[in-house]
Amino acid sequence: MRRVIGGAIAVLALAGLLAAAVPGHAPAQAKKIVYWTHWEQNPEFNKWYETKGKEFAKKSGYEVEVVTIPYQGYEAKYLAALVGKSGAPDFFNGIVHQWCGQYDFCDKMPADLEKTWSENLPKYMLAVGQFKGATYGIPIEHGNFQQMYIDVELFKKAGLNPDKPPKTLDEWLAAMKKLSVYDAKGEPTQVGFALRHKGHPVGITDKFLPFAHAFGARMLSPGLDRATGFANGPEMVAALQFYGDLVTKDKVASLAFGNPEDAFGQKRAGVIFRESWYFGWLKKNAPDVAFKVYALPCAKACPGAGNLFPWSNLVYKNSPHKQVVWDFLRFISNAKDDLEQHQLQGILPVWTVNLETPYVKGRPDYASTREMLAQPVPPNYYHPKSNELATAFGEAVVGVLYGKGQPKPSLDEAAARMDRILKD
Amino acid sequence: MRGARTRSVSLARWLTAALVAAGALTVVFPFVWIALTSLKTPPEIQRVPLQLAPDHWGNLENYREVFRRAPFSRFLLNSALLATVSAVSSLVVSALAGYGFAKFRFPGHSVFFFAIIGILMVPFQSVVVPLYLWVSRLGLLDTYLGILAPDLVSVFGVFLMRQAIEVVPDDYIAAARIDGCGEWGIFWRVVLPAVTPALATLAIIKFMWTWNEFFWPLVVVNSPSMKTVTMGLIGFTNMYFIEYNLVTAAAVVSVLPILLIFVILQKWVVQAAVMTGLKG
Amino acid sequence: MERWTRLAFPRTYMDRQRRAGFLFVLPAVAYFACVYFVPLVESLIGSFYRTLPGGASRFMGFGLYERVFTDPVFWNSVRNTIKLLALSVPSTVALALAVALGLDRLTLRWRSLWAAMYFVPFAVSLVAAALIWQWLYEPVYGVLNHALVLVGLPPQKWLQSLNQVLPSLAAINVWVRLGFDTMIFLAALQAIPGEYYEAAALDGASARQRLWHVTLPLLNPQIVMVCILELIFNFKIFDQVYATTQGGPAGASQTIIPLLYDTAFKYFRLGEASVMAVFVFVVLLVVTLLQWRIFRRPVDY
Repeated sequence: MRRVIGGAIAVLALAGLLAAAVPGHAPAQAKKIVYWTHWEQNPEFNKWYETKGKEFAKKSGYEVEVVTIPYQGYEAKYLAALVGKSGAPDFFNGIVHQWCGQYDFCDKMPADLEKTWSENLPKYMLAVGQFKGATYGIPIEHGNFQQMYIDVELFKKAGLNPDKPPKTLDEWLAAMKKLSVYDAKGEPTQVGFALRHKGHPVGITDKFLPFAHAFGARMLSPGLDRATGFANGPEMVAALQFYGDLVTKDKVASLAFGNPEDAFGQKRAGVIFRESWYFGWLKKNAPDVAFKVYALPCAKACPGAGNLFPWSNLVYKNSPHKQVVWDFLRFISNAKDDLEQHQLQGILPVWTVNLETPYVKGRPDYASTREMLAQPVPPNYYHPKSNELATAFGEAVVGVLYGKGQPKPSLDEAAARMDRILKD
Repeated sequence: MRGARTRSVSLARWLTAALVAAGALTVVFPFVWIALTSLKTPPEIQRVPLQLAPDHWGNLENYREVFRRAPFSRFLLNSALLATVSAVSSLVVSALAGYGFAKFRFPGHSVFFFAIIGILMVPFQSVVVPLYLWVSRLGLLDTYLGILAPDLVSVFGVFLMRQAIEVVPDDYIAAARIDGCGEWGIFWRVVLPAVTPALATLAIIKFMWTWNEFFWPLVVVNSPSMKTVTMGLIGFTNMYFIEYNLVTAAAVVSVLPILLIFVILQKWVVQAAVMTGLKG
Repeated sequence: MERWTRLAFPRTYMDRQRRAGFLFVLPAVAYFACVYFVPLVESLIGSFYRTLPGGASRFMGFGLYERVFTDPVFWNSVRNTIKLLALSVPSTVALALAVALGLDRLTLRWRSLWAAMYFVPFAVSLVAAALIWQWLYEPVYGVLNHALVLVGLPPQKWLQSLNQVLPSLAAINVWVRLGFDTMIFLAALQAIPGEYYEAAALDGASARQRLWHVTLPLLNPQIVMVCILELIFNFKIFDQVYATTQGGPAGASQTIIPLLYDTAFKYFRLGEASVMAVFVFVVLLVVTLLQWRIFRRPVDY
């Protein structure tokens, strides 16, 4: 017994020595500004900040350190760090209306930088870095609006022309019906449309909004202060009815298929609406799927380039180095760097002028992106409570998909709840 | 008569063994599946219909990628260090506290015990921000001590040790007292040897618990060199998709060391019980 | 006051005893007081304040409590949590007991092998376990449905189905926690002195009687502890739900802690999250005390 305790103490001593001897992290040599991001799927994009930072250090003496944070749980970490001040990042990747609207953690963008960006961003992105008229952030993501991916093979097999995609929702629905294959029991073995129906209700809302916007509906009033009359308005009810019918009546989408990305990759769905990161995933995980990317079909209106999660780079208000950070951001705010960084990762650059470069022209989503960007900008919901509102709304959508309720009553309930949230 | 009884006894034995074995294999199967998946490429994983075996049994590309993308070996070292320290400190403090609660009555006895158990009833998510602020003020962010802060002593450990020590017959202790043994001596020589299985159990469980901690290290760690294995594993998921080929490889890598420790300690648990002659 | 002075300055033998006991528990008490007590109090205080846009706080009295307790979403999560509990806890405890009893009968070599296998799930972190099971449950290319189809049964929707999602999550729970509880029971079984069994056998007790009158009563402390722990851990379940269904589909698997997390960090309502935490704490405290009082039997020889 003595031996055991003796052994335990030895282990503890050894562990303690190790803990003391092995440095936690390298002591700071050069001065640096710290950037936090949860964009783990874009490692080259993130690393570029550090590479560029070395260049920047020659002028200013400050390097850039990039810290990648897991997406799951990132809100808690951000909140704790930004409240705590020490240990907080100098700038970070986040959503403006949350960290600058709900909380007050962001520094306002200097006027000269604001001018540069407002002159060079596509019109739908102008609102991304702003809250209540003030500009705080630099949008970093372009192409996070959904586009239509079609499986060329499945189209051909169904007698459809993969070079002539459906332009209206009615045409689209007809195509979906042709693409769906059923077994003896009438259950789909192949569906026309890969539908997202699982996960957080915010994600569900995100995927449903293009349909809502196509029907001319909007989730909130233009002033973002009311939901009743909009979230449960006649256009929205019609949109949700259409969406729910895809599963229940037309059977061109199914809840029995798991992840829509996987379903499309396994050639069991003919069409999926996804953002531009998706073709990178397809190349890696389903290289034998021949696909084309097109603009989303329109109905009363065109869905356009809209999104629920506008990611941008924000500067921490209480950072002791915030002037240096703005200098760094000025340093990289030009077309060449924008192109370089995004091309490294294979995602779309943000500057309008870069959208006509050979790199972008060579992408499968070049034409569709151009088409959708030319359409009118759809409604945005950049409100501090967007998460909660989208969750309440999403529950109605999921409820209809799963047959738990009818569109009108579910939306009425959701709208009432959303109003309560807004009023608070 | 006797023959029939021994036959039915050994039949019962066989049946028990078979059931236990079947259960064990069922429980382990998902893990076998993970191991198999870690040998597949992403297109293979997506393939329908499902295929159990990978195309190439020697395909270790996923493992290489896991270590290439992030300093995974450093993560393993960090987790091992943290888990060891936490297990040892937990053992020491829990054993002491368990003994105090099991065999003594003093003012505040019940209150303290239930207060400690009460800690278990608090959702960690609601305590994380205040705790983080304190750790930050003390300058312990991104350090081993900071990561260990909530894990040095486990409530479960106190509970387990109390229950285990409770069963130690009071006569043994009384006898030792009559022999003139001091309180510390009794603890050392009578009580601890009597509960070595529980001690080993606690060590294993605490080691694994700390090894698998996710939320707190996430909040407290910034530098890549201080990350733990669970953070490394989550690094292969993101807001859009999960890289199953890498997640499974990382899962295999993270489990093997623990299993090793378990096998070592498990034998020791049984040996200890045999040595102290308690199991007839 | 008198009692505390006598702790510090013991006069009688009993006093010295009491002081010894106090000193033994002191390190643990001090640790928990320092590390957890203060954040806990801060969190409790937080349940009376609201964070306003801009970051300021407003004192609300019991206003937040009222909001939370009149919210149907909150009560839905409580209902789901209880349903999940009812599925997971009895099965885990019963299975763990059965497996431990079975393992106890085996020889050392086999016991080590099978016990290690039962423990493997615990070696995988909760998040990894959730990701792995999500994939096993995949309706199309998950192994479970594949196996079902092989034996001619129809494939199920598992985590995608309104009815099956809670039992599916419960299965993940049982899988993860079985090894843990089995180990506890096994360690306790191995600590039972052989003489008790011999004495019972001499008295002519059958195997079942030995189980009922010797083994189970001696295991009572561990059974109570495991029941309490399982209840607490299942009530506080988070990682598995959050990594797989995130409360879906349509709120059918929304349990309390995922809701708390969302409320605190996605909806930025820290005050209401603290209210939920207080609720969880009080409920667990009451239930644990009840379990402790009702099910404990003093171990007599």
